[in-house]
Amino acid sequence: MAPKTQREKAVRRNLWIYAGLTPFVFMAVFPIYWMVITAFKQDPDLYRMENIPFWFNMAPTLKHFETLFYQTNYGSWIINTMVIAFWVAVITLLTAVPAGYALARLRLPGAENIGIAIFMTYLVPGIILFLPLSRVVATLGLQDSWWALVLVYPTFTIPFCTWLMMGFFKTVPLEMEEAARVDGCGQLGALIRVVLPVSLPGVLTSVIFAFTLSMQDFLYGLAFVSPGDQKPVPVGVPTELIRGDVYYWGSIMAAVLLVGLPVAILYNFFLDRFIQGITGGVVK
Amino acid sequence: MSDLRPTDSGSLTLNRRKFLTVAGAGVAGTSLLTMLDARQAPAQIKGTTLRILQWSHFIPAYDTWFDNKFTKEWGDKNGVKVRVDHIPHLELPARMAAEFAAGAGHDIIMNGSSILTRLYYKSLADISDVYAASGKKHGGWIPSAGPLVEVEGKQYGIPMFYILLPMLYRKDLFDANNLKYPDTWELARVAARTLKPKGHPTGIQFSQCADANLNWRSLAFSFGAQEADLSGENILIDSKEMREAMRFAKALFDEGMTPEVFSWDDASDNRFLASGVGCWIHDAISAYRTTEDTNPDVFKNTHIALEPAGPGGKRVSTSAANVYMIWKFSKNQPAAKEFLTHFLDSGKEGMVQSRGYNMPYLLGDAVKPMPVIGSDPKMQILQDFPKMVAFYGYPGPFTTPIQEVVNLFVLPDMFTKVARGQNIEDVMKWGVAEYRRIFSKHKRA
Amino acid sequence: MTTASLRGGPEPSARAAVVSVPVVTSRRPWWRTHTAQRHIFGYTLLAPAALYVLLLVGAPFLFSLYLAVSDANVGDPVAKFVGLDNFRAAWEMETFWIALRNSVIFLVVAAIFKTLLGTSLAFLLLQNFPGKKLIRGLVVIPFTLPVAISVLSWKWMYDSQFSVINWVLSRLGLIGTYGSASWPVWLGQPELALPACIAVNVWRTFPFSAIVLLAGFTAVPLEVLDAAKVDGCSFFQRFRHIVTPMIFPILMIGFLFDTVFTLSDLSVVYLLTQGGPANASKILPVLAYQIGIQAGNLGRGAAIALFLVPLLLPAMILVLRNIKRREW
Repeated sequence: MAPKTQREKAVRRNLWIYAGLTPFVFMAVFPIYWMVITAFKQDPDLYRMENIPFWFNMAPTLKHFETLFYQTNYGSWIINTMVIAFWVAVITLLTAVPAGYALARLRLPGAENIGIAIFMTYLVPGIILFLPLSRVVATLGLQDSWWALVLVYPTFTIPFCTWLMMGFFKTVPLEMEEAARVDGCGQLGALIRVVLPVSLPGVLTSVIFAFTLSMQDFLYGLAFVSPGDQKPVPVGVPTELIRGDVYYWGSIMAAVLLVGLPVAILYNFFLDRFIQGITGGVVK
Repeated sequence: MSDLRPTDSGSLTLNRRKFLTVAGAGVAGTSLLTMLDARQAPAQIKGTTLRILQWSHFIPAYDTWFDNKFTKEWGDKNGVKVRVDHIPHLELPARMAAEFAAGAGHDIIMNGSSILTRLYYKSLADISDVYAASGKKHGGWIPSAGPLVEVEGKQYGIPMFYILLPMLYRKDLFDANNLKYPDTWELARVAARTLKPKGHPTGIQFSQCADANLNWRSLAFSFGAQEADLSGENILIDSKEMREAMRFAKALFDEGMTPEVFSWDDASDNRFLASGVGCWIHDAISAYRTTEDTNPDVFKNTHIALEPAGPGGKRVSTSAANVYMIWKFSKNQPAAKEFLTHFLDSGKEGMVQSRGYNMPYLLGDAVKPMPVIGSDPKMQILQDFPKMVAFYGYPGPFTTPIQEVVNLFVLPDMFTKVARGQNIEDVMKWGVAEYRRIFSKHKRA
Repeated sequence: MTTASLRGGPEPSARAAVVSVPVVTSRRPWWRTHTAQRHIFGYTLLAPAALYVLLLVGAPFLFSLYLAVSDANVGDPVAKFVGLDNFRAAWEMETFWIALRNSVIFLVVAAIFKTLLGTSLAFLLLQNFPGKKLIRGLVVIPFTLPVAISVLSWKWMYDSQFSVINWVLSRLGLIGTYGSASWPVWLGQPELALPACIAVNVWRTFPFSAIVLLAGFTAVPLEVLDAAKVDGCSFFQRFRHIVTPMIFPILMIGFLFDTVFTLSDLSVVYLLTQGGPANASKILPVLAYQIGIQAGNLGRGAAIALFLVPLLLPAMILVLRNIKRREW
């Protein structure tokens, strides 16, 4: 009798959870579903009011994907986006992780103010930064190359990730680090061998954010990169699939999905890793 | 299948710079020198790279032609490597500001709808010579062309073509209801009033978008209203005619539109027509073209009418201007000027490739029959537009303060406020205050 | 179990040591002392990040400050000092106040919804249940899509004629048919335009709030919770007294950054409505962009954009102080 009620209890609990999650999933997924459908619809299908928007009223088509791959530089845009995100993540990690650690742990004089100063830089809106930055970009000879974006995007990923890492490092018990030092690790050794592994979730979170934030920009990309084969996806799509007052809806939807969905899957992988990372790290 | 892909780009900027320091062609300061440059150009420009920034044209095939054929052929002939980049016309100002701040970028930059020539003129090359020579060669410029690019008697840009926003109406619906075709705004209103109850309202954007800026000006100017005087210094919007136009717009909205027009952007009226709902719209012929692709039945019955006349019989069609400019920092001005001259010489081909979008500023190109539109029975009427074309600021020039008025959508906002039921006098007071504030700011500066 | 030690931070004596560095280090050269070595090590770690933002944000920021007090415009490369004229010009503008109000509404309303949705989502995702990974993957999608493009698809969903939202509501009988007075025009009615923009912002960032919270929750060492459980603390007691204090810094940082991001983000409003109808959804960044960039008044645009800073400063100082009090 007892095991059954136990199971029943579990099922009931899960049902509650599912019920709670349904609105979230619906909210997140409905627009996505609708984008998928639109990406495969023929244009005339979109412009009839009597048509049901959720299903095909005319035969589905791959035309929009063809447009995307054969008539625009979409292939290059995807590669650019990924490469930019990669370099931004690398720069961010190399700068923000040590900085976060130094600010959180090393009791530096003025650390607090430096931390706040770094945060403050995030406050400056891009709309006023992009003009002076365009001069910097041009001086460095990066104008109209995606390297310009690799240079500029860390300006908003570094403050964010530095503070994120500060938060994470603060949750690492101080005793662990001290124990490592007692075991003969130097400061750097303690950081690399003990603190970093435990903070892996934080590091991965930083990577995720560096990745995502670099895909959220539009203004810098627009201002610094105009050649068709140098644009990242978020700039290429609105700049070449909106022509005058004509929107290529199908291709726009196809474009956003092809880049958004793989990143979402990647995310999920990372999310998993950092949840495991923390428990594993602490238990060891 | 058309190809939207812009030409392959390489990082040749450095080569160009290097070459030019050798050639010493980058000085081009005084107009005498630039004139000399223009004469010697063909020999001098060999081996340079020319970079052009322009919008993504409505017609993808036009960009293919422009990027891969037109510029390439010219480049091959003159030994110039031409590279064309595209960004949407609404974002061109941002890119232009960035290049201004950087002091580097493209050689030739285009403006569409928002013409910033007069705003940036101190940073632009004086190309009066190209303007004058080409005008002479092609029978002169239409009168409204000059003010777009002129500062103190010099031209800092080349008006290349403009985009018309004519009346597109559903002839089948008009005929079935014994309506006269919309030759005047009054007839258009009667039609909308009659057809709205039958499920076919009309629509013009009461919102903050480029079409709203253009369409409401067309209506107001046709009603006899004016924006600024010829000097561009004095605001003329506070007039009986402007009130009349706003009153009319309110009636048109009440009788013939649904509230959706408050949300419309430049593309909404295209969809509205293509869906078979709209009885008429006032829009660029892209709406006509998209309907051709998406709803052939509706397309068959969609006809184009002349700019509707106001109560006094006046017809003013406010058009979206397109202007090409050369940066002063461009180290390749001779090639840029040479190219613009060639582009102007090819106006007719541009009209063909753009399927009748590009309307010429040069009178020589505006002679009937014009390419494409002259041979299409429905589009023929567009040939009658050049004499009624106007731009922002009418009858005055498209000045810097007008530029700001346009960017802040003051005039469409006035119409929107009235349509929403605000008192015309209050709205006029608000509008005049906004205009004054903007004009005085620029005077102060 | 003591949580006090977990909060880390130096004992008061450590601070005193910092001050007295030169005095204590009589035997070894000062740079060989522990403290000095720690400092050298620390500043070396800090330098790359600090220099990066200093050079690429700090310097341009000073330049924009200069813009804000000059009559700089794209027409004239040489600008002269005009004091606070640009700020005064902004104050005189009716639109500026509308934009300021809208920015504040946008921020507050969006923050409330994000907190509510993010927290409940994080709690749900903290549980173990079959299909968790899949659901988690689905829920984060909005945040992974590039904003400039996902906003475009929302624009299509809010379309006055082909709105899929209206289609559903209409079929459910909640609103009238197309063309009737009860057919909402999301981006066209002044009372709906701003909420519609806020909804898009909430839609794309609530997964962010949830992720930050989740990351925070999972960062709490399990032993701490287990120990508390053994001590007989209830779930809420554990949450209130152990989890909250521990994740507070992460929480606040997520909140702060999101605030800034929301306030300075122009893409949602710019792409959906341009601030219309008749300024009903105008927010400061959009106004700054239109005046500063599109109309070329760099100085006035910079002044309007900089108004965001004093708007944020109080909230920021409050929060940062709070973190500090708990941390140091």
